Amino acid sequence: MSRVFAQARSGLVYAGLSLAAFVSIFPFFWMLVGTTNTAPDIIKGKITFGSALFDNITNLFAQVDMVQVFWNSTFLAIVGTVLTLAISSLAGYAFEMFPSKTRERVFAVLLLTLSIPFAAIMVPLFVMMAKLTLINTFTAILLPSIASVFIIFYFRQATKAFPHELRDAAKIDGLKEWQIFLYIYLPVMRSTYAAAIIIVFMANWNNYLWPLIVLQTNENKTLTLVVSSLASSYYPDYGVVMVATVLATLPTIIVFFLLQRRFVEGLTGSVK
Amino acid sequence: MNQMLIRARKSVFLATGISLLAMTSALAGEVTVWSWDPNFNGATMKEAAARYSASHPDMTINLVDFAKVDLEQKLQAQLASGTTEGLPDIVLIEDYGAQKYLLSFPGAFEPLNGKIDYSGFAPYKVELATVDGNTYSMPFDSGVTGLFYRTDILAEAGYSAADLQDIDWDQFIEIAKVVKEKTGHPMLGVDLNDAGALKILLQSMGGWYFTADGQPAIAGDAKFKAALSTYAKLLQTKEIYKPVSGWTEYTGGFVSGEVASVFTGAWMTATIKAANMSGQWGVAPLPKMPGVEGATHASNLGGSSWYVLSSSAEKDEAVDFLAEVWGKDVDFYQKILVDQGALGSYLAAREGEAYKASDAYFGGQAVWQSFSDWLAAVPAVNYGIFTNEVDAAVAAQLPALAEGGSVDDAIAAIDAQVRAQIQ
Repeated sequence: MSRVFAQARSGLVYAGLSLAAFVSIFPFFWMLVGTTNTAPDIIKGKITFGSALFDNITNLFAQVDMVQVFWNSTFLAIVGTVLTLAISSLAGYAFEMFPSKTRERVFAVLLLTLSIPFAAIMVPLFVMMAKLTLINTFTAILLPSIASVFIIFYFRQATKAFPHELRDAAKIDGLKEWQIFLYIYLPVMRSTYAAAIIIVFMANWNNYLWPLIVLQTNENKTLTLVVSSLASSYYPDYGVVMVATVLATLPTIIVFFLLQRRFVEGLTGSVK
Repeated sequence: MNQMLIRARKSVFLATGISLLAMTSALAGEVTVWSWDPNFNGATMKEAAARYSASHPDMTINLVDFAKVDLEQKLQAQLASGTTEGLPDIVLIEDYGAQKYLLSFPGAFEPLNGKIDYSGFAPYKVELATVDGNTYSMPFDSGVTGLFYRTDILAEAGYSAADLQDIDWDQFIEIAKVVKEKTGHPMLGVDLNDAGALKILLQSMGGWYFTADGQPAIAGDAKFKAALSTYAKLLQTKEIYKPVSGWTEYTGGFVSGEVASVFTGAWMTATIKAANMSGQWGVAPLPKMPGVEGATHASNLGGSSWYVLSSSAEKDEAVDFLAEVWGKDVDFYQKILVDQGALGSYLAAREGEAYKASDAYFGGQAVWQSFSDWLAAVPAVNYGIFTNEVDAAVAAQLPALAEGGSVDDAIAAIDAQVRAQIQ
């Protein structure tokens, strides 16, 4: 009796999970199907594969300099991720390793800034960039984001789990602070870094509002801006939009799967 | 080994210090234009620039395209910042938003009176870009409305083109009932989140959400009540329409052949022609408001115009360019009508070949002649600065109206929401 009950239960669980999987995967499936269909077919709700893939790709590349745009997004995402991790992990490390009353206050102020929506600082930030003559540059996009309060906070929390004995032992062995950071802290915290890479890479790759405000030419535009522009035509060519969407989705999927195992470790805060 | 590792890691950190160079460059004689939809607005601007540069070889055009909402947000942020760096020379603004920009940022846009002969344009397009006697726009595409309908479905129900001339909305609803009964096709697709239909009804009798001095014309306004009552009547006749959600489903309704008609702006022509149903479509005048003085068969939905920024370094060239091509080139308007399906607001364009041509897709009807007839007759109204806010307030009441709710209650609720928002 209890076996039947257990089987029924696991059956229910699997049914629930299958439904959740379907709901999660269907948009991706539809996106892929969409790349192979013409716009009228997509509007009519066709969900079988069609034969317009090649046309859609050709049309996209004829309308937009995709190589340039893809490069812009990739460049900003990679450089942005490297810089953010370098600056913010150093800050997180320092806040935890060298506590003082003043630093606690600075940290509290930093956390408070998390509650200010970006829209509120957008215009002053634009004025600032204009004064620095950085409008329409990648520097203007990267500068405001590389000291990320959220990532500093995240690294500070993760550093709490870092065994201080390791640092003490390294000190006795004669390592300087930057050497401890590079050779002891970095390797031990790689799961934390992996999770941070995914978070920051996705945030940079999908960054939308600030690049929109600060970038002024077609040559400098990022993929998110291009997808938005394509999708808002009076008669959007949804097949083309879907191809662009696939291109915009791929890198985050790849990064996520590459770092997936460490991502879970990093979020649960385990330290090896 | 360890040393190499140290060096490799050092270089990674050094690399993070690289500086990124500026990439802006504004050439002399280069006119920068911001617009949305490169296949429509962008393409017409390119065609105009090609014509102008034939006589002005120094002039080049730099088209930058954004999504419409993106462009609005960007322009708003940049004008609000007070810095003019990076602003374009010419920008496309949707007509409903024109007054908002002109009133919120006085001095940001260049008045064009005296440089452009506005008497040649549809009066309502000129009126909407006029503030204190100054007109700021180069009027572009018109959203003059018509009733697109499936001739074959209507014929099956016993109606010919003649039966759709000079009808009012009450007659339209009766026709729609017969069409549904005899053919099974719903006459319309209706999105209860969209207030577009109400705007069409309002403007067709010279009404709008606002009075001439910008005050809400909702509670106590006879035209607003007439429009909402008529629309409520349509919404409560549920058998004649298919409820849809969102633009794709809305256009999908008639593109798939299920829905028998759509009343909307002339720009829908391209979507209808993309459906490959040649010879099965016709265009009739918009039904008029029943029992209202000043009711016409002409109205408008959407449309946009070009504006020159006062801060532009290429201002004179930009204005001359607009005046020379957009202001008087009848041939140009034929070209963009054929290539992009763009119906300009320049009235003399109707004398050209393309405007006179009959269209086999519409059973040989000269649809653009009809549209340009109605174009000249669209009542001029003041779009005000809070059209979006009222749209949202109206849309919030449509589901209740469709379920038989009282029109007076809906008006009171819309009025309250609008006044709370625009304080």
